Amino acid sequence: MSADPTAQSTPPPVVQVRDMDFCYGASQALFDISLKVKYHRVTALIGPSGCGKSTLLRCINRMNDRVPSARVTKGEVLVKGKNIHDADVDLTQLRKQVGMVFQKSNPFPKSIYENVAYGLRIHGEKNKSVLDEAVERSLTHAALWEELKDRLHANALALSGGQQQRLCIARAIATVPDVLLMDEPCSALDPISTLKIEELMHQLAHEFTVVIVTHNMQQAVRVSDYTAFLHLGKLIEFAPTEELFTNPREKLTEAYLRGTFS
Amino acid sequence: MFSTAGFCLISGEQASRRMNSLPTPSRPPLRSVLLRSRKRTILGLDPQKLIKYFFGSNASVAIIVLVLIMVFLLREGIDFLPTYQRELQTYRRAGLEFCDIIDKPLQRNQALSSSLRQAVGASLETLSKQARDRRDAAFLLKRQVEDKSARPRESLRQALEKTPPAPDQIEVLRAELAVASTAAAKALKYPAFFSAAEVEQMQREFSALTPEVTDLPPLLLILVEEFTVKDREARTQFAELVTAQEEFEEAAEPLQEVLDELKAKALETKEKAVEFEVLEINRQRLLEAAATETDPKEKASLTKEAEESVSEAVNLEESIKEITGRTAELREQVEKYAVVIEKAAAVLPKDAGTGAARKMVNEVREKIPEHAREMRAASATLEDWRWDKPVSIFRVIGAFFFGTQWITNSSWQDFYGFVPLLTGSLVIAAIAILIATPVSVVAAIYTNQFASEREKELIKPVIEFIQAIPSVVLGFIGISLVGDLIKDFSEWSWLQWVPGFPIQERLNMFNAGCLLAFMAVPTMFSLSEDALNNVPRAYIDASDALGATKLQTVFRVIVPAGISGILSAILLGLGRVVGETMVVLLVAGNRIAIPDFSAGPGVIFQPAHTLTGIIAQELGEVSRGSSHWQALFMVGIVLFAISLLVNWCARAVARRFEPHKA
Repeated sequence: MSADPTAQSTPPPVVQVRDMDFCYGASQALFDISLKVKYHRVTALIGPSGCGKSTLLRCINRMNDRVPSARVTKGEVLVKGKNIHDADVDLTQLRKQVGMVFQKSNPFPKSIYENVAYGLRIHGEKNKSVLDEAVERSLTHAALWEELKDRLHANALALSGGQQQRLCIARAIATVPDVLLMDEPCSALDPISTLKIEELMHQLAHEFTVVIVTHNMQQAVRVSDYTAFLHLGKLIEFAPTEELFTNPREKLTEAYLRGTFS
Repeated sequence: MFSTAGFCLISGEQASRRMNSLPTPSRPPLRSVLLRSRKRTILGLDPQKLIKYFFGSNASVAIIVLVLIMVFLLREGIDFLPTYQRELQTYRRAGLEFCDIIDKPLQRNQALSSSLRQAVGASLETLSKQARDRRDAAFLLKRQVEDKSARPRESLRQALEKTPPAPDQIEVLRAELAVASTAAAKALKYPAFFSAAEVEQMQREFSALTPEVTDLPPLLLILVEEFTVKDREARTQFAELVTAQEEFEEAAEPLQEVLDELKAKALETKEKAVEFEVLEINRQRLLEAAATETDPKEKASLTKEAEESVSEAVNLEESIKEITGRTAELREQVEKYAVVIEKAAAVLPKDAGTGAARKMVNEVREKIPEHAREMRAASATLEDWRWDKPVSIFRVIGAFFFGTQWITNSSWQDFYGFVPLLTGSLVIAAIAILIATPVSVVAAIYTNQFASEREKELIKPVIEFIQAIPSVVLGFIGISLVGDLIKDFSEWSWLQWVPGFPIQERLNMFNAGCLLAFMAVPTMFSLSEDALNNVPRAYIDASDALGATKLQTVFRVIVPAGISGILSAILLGLGRVVGETMVVLLVAGNRIAIPDFSAGPGVIFQPAHTLTGIIAQELGEVSRGSSHWQALFMVGIVLFAISLLVNWCARAVARRFEPHKA
C-alpha cells in the first residue's frame, strides 16, 4: 500500500462530490458542493461553526442516513468512482472502506485488543492469527504498539484521552479503509496529545486518503495538503493548503483567515 | 467545563470593560461590602439553614424508620432462640426425643408397605382386572339407569309408603317407571366386554328395577361372584407376595404398641415437665424475693415455699425412668421387627406380576435391609441417650436454620425448621426469574433498539401497567385460570415428555413462579430499558461507522455495555419476587414440606410453602409472644436479611460493571 509513483503523478480522486445539495428536512445545509479528494493526501475542511463541514464529512460515509429527514437532494457523492447512493451499494461495505474518527474519543468498553479487532470481527473475520496481525499492524500505525503491547487485554477505558483517540484511529484503520474521515479529532485533547496525532496524520497519509474537519487553522496548515473553506453551506474555496493560506483567491476566505469573523 | 469557565472569564472581562466606560457610581466602602449583611432569623436560626434542616430531616426519616424496623424485628425475634431452647429441653426431658429416635425411622414402614400394597394390587389386577372392570361397569350402568328414571322411581316409592295404599295410582306409577327404565336401559352405551346376551339380560333386568326390591339383579350377582373367584385365584397365584406384604405390615404392630405406650407416657411427662418449668420459674422468683426481703419471718416463709416446689423435679425424674427403664424391651422389639422384615424381604418373589409391580417390589426389596439397618442404628443410639443432657444453643440454631420440619400446633411436639420454607421460596423465585429474565430483557432490547416510536408508546405503558395490578387479583387469576390451564396441558398426550406431567396439584410452585414472573417483568423491563438507554451514543456511532449492522451493534456493543444495568435489574426483580406474599400464599399450594427433589425437574409442579406466605398465614392466629410467634419473627428477620443482601448485590453489580463511568 505504499505510495506508488505513477499514482502520484496522476492521482485519481478517491472521493468526488459533484454538485451536491444536502437538506435536513426543509432546511438546506449544503449548497452545490463540488470537491475532489486526492489519493493519499490530507484534505482539511475548515470554516466557521455551522458552515456544514461536518455534514459534508458525514456525507462521505453516509453517517447522515441515521438522521431520518436528512438527504442529498441534488448531485452525487462518488467513492472510488461509485455513487454511494446507488441502490446496489452495501452500506456496511462502504463504511468498511471509509473509516471514521470522531471528535470525542469513543473506544468501546472492551479490551484494547477487542476494540481494534471489532471492525474485522463484524465483517466476519474469525481467524485468530489474522486478527492478531491486524491488531499489531493497526496499533503500530497508530503509534500505540510499543506503549500497549504488554496490556492488550486491559480495558480501553483505562487509557489516557490521547491514547484513547489514537486507539480509535487504530480501530478505524484496522479494516484497511481507502479513506479515513476525521471529525475534529484533536478538539478534546491537550496540546501534547494533539501534537502526537498530527504527527500520526502525516504517517497515515502514506497509506490512506485522509479528510479532516478542523476548526483550528494552524492545524490545517500543519497537517493538510489541500484545504477546503466552507461558509454557510457553500464551498467558497478549495486549493492546495499553502496556496489557500498564503494567497487566497476569495475575499471571504481572506477575511476568515484574518479572523474578521469566526 | 473548560468552555464554560472560559466563557465566564470573557464575559467578566467584557462587563468590567463596559463598567469602565460608564460613569462610576458611588461605591460603598470596601469593608462594609465584605461584612455579612444582617438577616432575619427564626428562633435564632438562619432561614436558609432551617430549610436545609427541614429537607435533611425528611430524608433521614426513611433511614430512622428502617432502623426502627430492624430493631423491632430483632426485639421480637431474638428471644426465639432461648425459648426454642427451653422447648427442646423439655422435649428431651420428657422423653419425647427418646420415642422419636425409634418413631421417625419407623415411619418409613408405612411408605414401604404402601408401595408393597400397590405392587400387590397391580399384580392381582393382571388376573382380575377384567372381572373387576365388568363388575364395576355393570354397577355404574345400573346407577345410570336409576339416575335417569329417578323421578318416577321416587314418586312410586312415596306412593308405596303411603297408608292406605292406592293400588290404582301405584299401577300407573309402576307403568311409568317401567317405561322410563326401559328407555334409559336402551339408551345406555354398553362396553365391548359384555357379550350381546349379557347386554340383553342387563337391559331386561334394569328395565324391571323397582324401588321395593333391594336385591341385586341376577347378572350383577353373577359378575360379583365372577370377580370374587378371580380375585381368590389371583391371591393364591401371588400368595407369596400377598403374605410377604401382610407380614411386613404386621411386623411393625408389636413395636408400635410398645412405642405408643411410651409415647403416651412421654406426653404425660411433658405436661409434668411444663408444670415443673412453671414451678421452677416461680421458685426462682420466690428465692429472689427472699433474697431482697428484709423481714426475717417473711424471708423464712418465702424460702420454705420455694423449697417445697422442688420436690416436683424428683417426680419428673421418676417418670423419665419409667420410659428409659423399658429401653431393653424396646430394643428387643426393634430387633424382632428388623428380623421379621428382613425375612419378609427375603421371601418377596423376584418376578411378581406386571412390570410396574415387579419394579416396585424390587425397589422395596432393596430398601428393606436399608430400613432394618436404620432401625438397628437408631436402637443403638437409645443407650447413649440422656434425659438431662442440656441442649446447647448451637443445636437450637442448627435446629432452626437446618431443621427440615415446620410443625406447629402439634399434640406431640412443635418444630420450627426453616428449610422447607426456604426451599419453597427459592425454587419459586428461581422459576420466576428464569421465566421473567428472557422475556423482560428481550422486550427491553426490542423496545429500546428496534421499536418505532409508536410501538414504544404502546409497549412501555402497557408493561408498566402490570405493576398496577393488585397482587391479590393475580393470585385469583392463578387459582382460577393458570392452575386449570397447566393441569389441562399436563394431560395432553403429546406433552407427556415434560417431567412431572401429568400433574397432581393445580396450585404448585410452577404456577406461583409464572405469576411472580409476570409481576417481576415491569421492574426488570423498565430497569433494563434504562440501562440500554444509558449506553453512550458515541459507542453506537463508532460501531455504525465501522460498518456494523444494527444487530451487530446491539449484541456486540449496546448489550455488553448495558450488562451491568441489566444484571442489576434482574437482581432487583429477584428481590421483588422473594418478598412477594399474596400470590404465593394463594397459589403456591401451601404444603409445608421440602419438595421431593428426587422427582427431578418435575419437582416444580409440587406444592410448597414460602417464607412470606407462612408469616402472612400464621401470624394472625398465634398468641403474641409465644414461641410460634417468635419463630415467625425469626423468619421475618431472615427474609429481611435476604432482601438486604439481594439489594446490596444489585448495587454492587451495577458499580462493578459500570465501564463507561470509569
